[in-house]
Amino acid sequence: MAAQSRAAQPPGRFSRLTLRQRFYIVAVLLLLPAVALRVFTAFYPFLQTAYLSLHKYNPAFDHDGPVFVGLNNFTRIGSDPVVQASIGFTLLFVLGATFFQLTLGLAVAHLLNAAFRLRYLARALVLIPWAIPMAVAALGFRWMFDDQFGIIPDLLRTLTGANVRWLIDPNNAKLAVVSVAVWKSTPFVALVLLAGLQGIGRDLYEAARVDGANAWTCLFYITIPMLLPILITTGMFMIVWQLAVFDLPFLMTGGGPGFSTTVIAQKIYLESNSLNYGYAASISMVLVGIVALVGAVGLYLFRRFDVSA
Amino acid sequence: MSTQLTARPAQPAQGDHPGQTMERLTRFGGSILVYVSFIIFAVVIGLPFYFIFISSITPSSELFNIPPTYLPSAPTLENYLKMMESIPFLTYFRNSLIFAIGSSAVSVIAAGMAAYALARIRFPGSNILYLALILSVALPQIAVLVPMYQTFNSFRLVNTPYGLIIMMSSLMLPFTIMTLVSFINQVPAEIEEAAYIDGANTAQIILRVVLPLIRPALFTMFLINFIISWNELLYPLVFAHNVDTKTLSVGLTELTDPGSTYTKPWDQMSALSVFMIVPVLLIILFGQRMIISGLARGALK
Repeated sequence: MAAQSRAAQPPGRFSRLTLRQRFYIVAVLLLLPAVALRVFTAFYPFLQTAYLSLHKYNPAFDHDGPVFVGLNNFTRIGSDPVVQASIGFTLLFVLGATFFQLTLGLAVAHLLNAAFRLRYLARALVLIPWAIPMAVAALGFRWMFDDQFGIIPDLLRTLTGANVRWLIDPNNAKLAVVSVAVWKSTPFVALVLLAGLQGIGRDLYEAARVDGANAWTCLFYITIPMLLPILITTGMFMIVWQLAVFDLPFLMTGGGPGFSTTVIAQKIYLESNSLNYGYAASISMVLVGIVALVGAVGLYLFRRFDVSA
Repeated sequence: MSTQLTARPAQPAQGDHPGQTMERLTRFGGSILVYVSFIIFAVVIGLPFYFIFISSITPSSELFNIPPTYLPSAPTLENYLKMMESIPFLTYFRNSLIFAIGSSAVSVIAAGMAAYALARIRFPGSNILYLALILSVALPQIAVLVPMYQTFNSFRLVNTPYGLIIMMSSLMLPFTIMTLVSFINQVPAEIEEAAYIDGANTAQIILRVVLPLIRPALFTMFLINFIISWNELLYPLVFAHNVDTKTLSVGLTELTDPGSTYTKPWDQMSALSVFMIVPVLLIILFGQRMIISGLARGALK
């Protein structure tokens, strides 16, 4: 009896389900690897970081595991000048770098969009800084900025007579680190903005030219307003991404001179290496908080301008 | 495309009105401006590469000259040989290849599957899941490093290529999923529906119909992710401690010792840098158009 009814069914339990149910199962199977990877390396460890940030935990001393200390780690941040300096430099780095990446990126995008013979060469060249390892760029520029043997101080001396000491002076070191970030990531921004430029209809510019507009009026009254949603999303992406910067200052200046170019990520790295896991986690939470805040502001701006555009 | 063609200014038909000479002058001035800015652009981009390459073939005695040398008097390959004696270059090179190929393959496969489900199958919570996956890109790597180390350690994944590939592919998933979803959304669903009506099952449809359609996008993301993981420093630096897992970027930090400029082996570092740049350059020469469109798509949508 049972055998008969089973034989009458198409083989397998799967086929007995409705089409919709089958689709759900397929969806779950397809999503499983990606979701598992993200849970394993992002969501779950993030919960643990949040937990650790409220605990004192140094595996070298606290053999009984993490000790709950409430917000103590966060009040300690309030009196830690290195963390505060690192937050200050990170914000300066991110805002300065993003500003120049967007403005220079817009200029480079215009160059890549211009009708001239070497356009395709320019488009191949522009990928290179984005594509090479940050470690190579950071160390290469450290060598090029070197006071005695570097070519950048030497070229500056020959061209302008100015004698600038780059990586020894705190302010110049900050400027040098930001300029490498601009060199490395402006091309990426330019490529995204190029795609945006290609989406603006030529008829707008034709109409403006008939009305007597010059290049600058076109830039400020057509190009920038039309690109505003892309400028905001790209800017937000660059800010959020660069808030977590680690390898560039770590390899180029090691955070120095002093702590003048230490970023939040490097401070977390240092505290983790000293096994101060609880304290490192609380600084991590501050970093995540800054990222979330910036992201929220960016989303708000995007919604506002995307609707109006 | 057609709007662009018709909207292009019809200059040849413009007769000789009084403004013509002036217009030609500004056009000429404009193209000079374009070429001048191209030269500045090319120099700014190219100079570091020129300098790294020159340093790699300059004898180390000449490298520490004041003022710096812009052209070596006797180019040499000794820096490359010295570098290969200082670190196990070939092993690291192999590790880097395994790490980059493995991570980009896993990320593209997992993201391709997820992107298909998110783009094509409507199920409760799909939008929230999509948002959660995409927004997790904002979580800084460094902020979860300690718990991740403990988890990976308890699964015995620290110091293994598998562990590195798992974390790196996961890191690249959000951007890859976002790009592939936007790509799949542009492929009309009618072809798949027709295949369903013809009686194909889900596996057949995914393998025979969908896969060929999105293959170019998968390949583009493979190239982009290969470059990103080839360049990765933080994960191998923290999770690879032995010769059989360390990558070239870790090798680069091993060459730099924390002493002063004099003790830094710039000759060897630039030689290694050249080896790290060349594979990336080859990929760009080969896949420039695909990479540009892939990057722009991911960032725009």
